[in-house]
Amino acid sequence: MGVDLSVEIFGLTFKNPLVLASGPAGFGFELQQYLDISRIGAITLKTITIMPREGNAPPRLVDTHGGIINSIGLQNPGIKEFVRTIAPRLKDLKTIKIGSIAGFTIEEWKILGEEMDKIKEIRAIELDLSCPNVEGKGMWAKDEELTQEAIKAVRESTDKPIIAKLAPDVTDIVKVAKKAINAGADALSIGNTIEAMRINIETGLPFLKLKTGGLSGPAIKPITLARVFRVAEALKVPIIGIGGVMNWQDALEYAMAGASLIGIGTAIMVDPQAPLEILHGIESFLRQKGIERFKDIIGIAHRGGF
Amino acid sequence: MIEAELIEKKTAKDYGFFKFKLSEKLENPDAGQFVMLKALDEPILAKPFSIYSYKNKNLTLFIKRVGRLTGKIFSSPIGEVFYIRGPYGTPYIETISREKKYILIGGGSGIAPLNFFSELYPELVYKKLYGFKGGYIRELFEEEQSTLVIEEESGKTVVDVLVDVYSEEVGILACGPIPMLKNLPHDSYVSLEAVMGCGIGTCKSCAIKTKEGIKMVCKDGPLFRKGEIQWEWI
Repeated sequence: MGVDLSVEIFGLTFKNPLVLASGPAGFGFELQQYLDISRIGAITLKTITIMPREGNAPPRLVDTHGGIINSIGLQNPGIKEFVRTIAPRLKDLKTIKIGSIAGFTIEEWKILGEEMDKIKEIRAIELDLSCPNVEGKGMWAKDEELTQEAIKAVRESTDKPIIAKLAPDVTDIVKVAKKAINAGADALSIGNTIEAMRINIETGLPFLKLKTGGLSGPAIKPITLARVFRVAEALKVPIIGIGGVMNWQDALEYAMAGASLIGIGTAIMVDPQAPLEILHGIESFLRQKGIERFKDIIGIAHRGGF
Repeated sequence: MIEAELIEKKTAKDYGFFKFKLSEKLENPDAGQFVMLKALDEPILAKPFSIYSYKNKNLTLFIKRVGRLTGKIFSSPIGEVFYIRGPYGTPYIETISREKKYILIGGGSGIAPLNFFSELYPELVYKKLYGFKGGYIRELFEEEQSTLVIEEESGKTVVDVLVDVYSEEVGILACGPIPMLKNLPHDSYVSLEAVMGCGIGTCKSCAIKTKEGIKMVCKDGPLFRKGEIQWEWI
C-alpha cells in the first residue's frame, strides 16, 4: 500500500510535509551536494534584507544541553544581489521555494515583498518577524500591531501566498496569530528560535559575541509544539510547525498538533541527510497504522486521536 | 552518517590520539580536511576535527579535551561508537603553491592536519615544529620527539624557534591557536579553527572577515593567507 504524503495548502501542492527551515539550509545550493532537495517538500531560503549584512562577529554558535544557541545575525547578500545572482539559479532546486524576508521599516517590508513578487521561482513568501539575532532591532512578532502592519505592507505588494513567521516566546501567541491572519497572512510559521544565552565561567563573559542568541533543537520542541497546538485549536489556518524536529517522531507530533507542514532546521546542521530519515520514518509509521494519507493525521490530537 | 568505532586511544592529560574504525570509506580525504564527529545523543551538534591520519577505514584524530564532546571522547571506552560525516573543507594542497617547501608550524591540537600533510606530501615539507606547553606531551609521540617544541623545557614557543630557521625561500603552513597564528609572517598560510554548525557552508556559523568580505572557514578554508584575514573581527 502506498502512502500519500502530499499536502495542499494555499494553492500549492507539496509532495511531502517537510520544509527546510530558513537559515540552516542557506540558499540550498551547497546543501544540494549532500541532500537530494528534490525529495523534500519545500525549502525556505535564507532571510533577505534590503541591505547586504555581514552578520554578527564570531563566535556565532554555542551548544547547550538539548540544543544550540546561534547568533548568525541574518548574514545575507541583500535584495539587489539576491535578485541578480541567486534568483536566476533557483530553478536548479527541484522543489518548492519559499522566499524569506526581513524588513526594518514598513517601507522595507513593502519593497522586499515587491522584489520577491517578481521572482517566478519563489512560490510563497515568509516574513521573518521573529529573528532574535539582530542588534538594535526589536522583534516585530513581539508586538501584534507591528506584526499586522508588516503583513499588510507585504500583502499590498504581492499576490503570492504569505507566511508570517511568529515568535514562540510571546505572552499570547493566539492573539498575535489572529492579528496576522486578519492582516492578510495565508499561513503561519510557528515558531522561531527562543532568546537564550550561555556564559563562559572561565572568562566570566557571554560565549556569543552578541551576548544572547536563539535557542533551537530538542530543548524547544515541547514549547513550540504547545504553541502550534494552541493556535490550531483557535484558528483554521495552515501552520508550518518548526522547532526542534530531530526525528520522525517529532515531526508526527507537530502534525498531530495541527501543523500541515513541518520545518526542519537544527537537524539539517547535525546531519544533512536527516530529512530523508524523517520522511522514511513518517511513511513507515503511517503504513503500520494503516493510514493512507498524511493529511489525515494533521490535527488529530484535536479530534480525539486515533 | 558513518559509524566510527573507537578502537585505540592513548592520552596524556588533556591531549590524546584516538583511532576509529569506520563502517564505510571516506571519499579521498586530503590534508587540511576535517570530519564532523558526533556522539549519539548529547551534545546535539557534530564538531569538526582535522584528520591526523587515515588509512584503510582507520581514522586517527589528535584531540585536545575542551568541551562536552571531547570530554565524552576522552572518557569513552574502547568499542564506543560515534558518528562522522565528511571529509569537508578545501585540501591545503589546493590553496598553497607547490613551488615551495614548507615549515609546518603546529600549536597543540593544530598539529593534526599538519601530520596528515606530511604523510601525503613529504616532498613539500622543509621542517616541522610542533609546539606544546608541557613536557608531559612527549609520552604521546614516539617518532616526532625532535620536532616537539616544549615551552616549559626551552622557554621558547614555536614562533620563537621559527625566527632561527626561517628563510624567505620556504613557506609557512601553520595551524594552532589564534595568538600563535597572529605572530607569524604576513605571507604565511594559516589554518583556522572555528565553531561550526553544518561544516558544509550553509549555516554561516563559522564566519571570518577577509579583505574580500565574509568567508566561511568550513567551505572557503580552513586555510587562508594570513594577510587576507581581518584579525580584529575574530
